[in-house]
Parts: sequence; C-alpha cells; structure tokens
Amino acid sequence: MGIMFQGVAANFEQYMTLLSARQKLVASNLANADTPGYRTEDIDFHAEFEHAMSGQKPTVIEPDGLEVKPDGNNVSLDREARLLSENTMRFAVASNLARSELSSLKAAIQEGK
Amino acid sequence: MSLLSALSISASGMSAQRARTELLVQNLANSDTTRTPEGGPYRRKDVVFTTDPSAGAQFSSMFDSAMGNNGMGVKVAGVVTDPREPEKRYEPGHPDADQDGYVLIPRMNPAEDMVDLMSASRSFQANVSAVSAVKDMIQKSLDLFRS
Repeated sequence: MGIMFQGVAANFEQYMTLLSARQKLVASNLANADTPGYRTEDIDFHAEFEHAMSGQKPTVIEPDGLEVKPDGNNVSLDREARLLSENTMRFAVASNLARSELSSLKAAIQEGK
Repeated sequence: MSLLSALSISASGMSAQRARTELLVQNLANSDTTRTPEGGPYRRKDVVFTTDPSAGAQFSSMFDSAMGNNGMGVKVAGVVTDPREPEKRYEPGHPDADQDGYVLIPRMNPAEDMVDLMSASRSFQANVSAVSAVKDMIQKSLDLFRS
C-alpha cells in the first residue's frame, strides 16, 4: 500500500487487521464453548491498536471476571455474541472510510472526472 | 489471512457439535435397545471435546500459530461410554430375560439427552452466526476493490 495508501488510510489497514485477529479469537471461543477446561481468549483492543501502529503482533490475554463453569470452561456466549457483532460493525465503518479514501485518490488520478 | 482461518475455526465447531448431536440422537433412539453387537443392552455414549490448534490446517493459520497469534479450533477427542450399570427390569416373558426373569435395560434419562441436544443446537447456531459475521467482514474487504 505504501505510497498510495498513506496517513489515515494506513491506520484503517492496521485497524482492520487487528479486528480480523480479534474476530478469529471470538470464533475460536464460540467453537470451544463446550470444551472442558478451555479459557476465553481476547486481545486488549485499544492497547494493541497502539502497538499495531508500531508494527507489533498482538498478544493474547485472558479477560477477567468471567464465570468459570464446573468443567473449567469460562466461555460466555453473550459476551462473544456482543463482540462478534461489535467487530463486524467496526470493520464495516473502517472499510467504508477506507473506500471513500480510495475513491478520492481515484478522483485525483482521473483529474476529478 | 486471519479471517479465513476464523472461518475454519467456526467450521470445526460446527462439525464437532454435529458429531455430538448424532450421538445424542443415537442415545434417544436406542433407549430401549436390549441387544447390541458387543452384547448386553445399549449404553449411553457422549463425546469429549478438545482444542485443536491445527483447525483449518491452512499454511497461513499454521504460520500464525507458530508466530504465537493463535486461535483454537475444536475437535472430538473421543467417545465415552456411560459406565453406569444398566437397569434391571422384571419381565419374565422377554426374549432377553435371564433365568430369574430380569431384563437389562439401558440406563437412560431422556431429559438429560434432550437438554444436551438443546445445548448442542444452540452452540451450533453460535458457530453459524460467527461464520456469517466473518463472511460479512470478508465481503466488506472485497468491496474495497469496487469503489
């Protein structure tokens, strides 16, 4: 993307990559909702976004305050469902903003035609 | 790509829940079965799930997990048979009755299986929602090419 996709738009790219990584963890938590001993995984989104700007990989953490079931699993379907739709919406916002950035670039290339 | 491996993780969840449903339905269907190929009455079966780091087994997801950016799929680790003794019912006319007139009937609690069945179906739905959310995100990324 380098030269074409600069400034704010480059941040969208990081943001969307991070959202994808988080959505993957949510999918993983949902898939393991019945696996004994499985612990919910998540990333600290805001802190990781700061890190991602400097090109670091996100680290996976275990969120606090989740109720542990008798089989040692602590996946909360409600929490994961909320994150699932939250990530999708954030992603839609970022991709729409990135798209408008791209279309102004295109307008510039085509001399505003 | 992270989103594509999220799809395979959800798919692993769906197939694990389907395997569980198959066994639960088998349990319900065999709740009065007194003869099996192994001998004796039918015994209730259940699955054990375990996390599966290689779900999807795509190069990129293997690479991601090697890089420590893991997300775990799920797989069926094994099928366990209920160790509880079968019930004894006095039915002297039954072809499978022993010399005292008792028949061994599977120890089955339909409520237990129905509740598990509901839980399996809810978990399956949760995975389906995850698939459609991820599909939505992939579609949004593809739409960037169409501006």
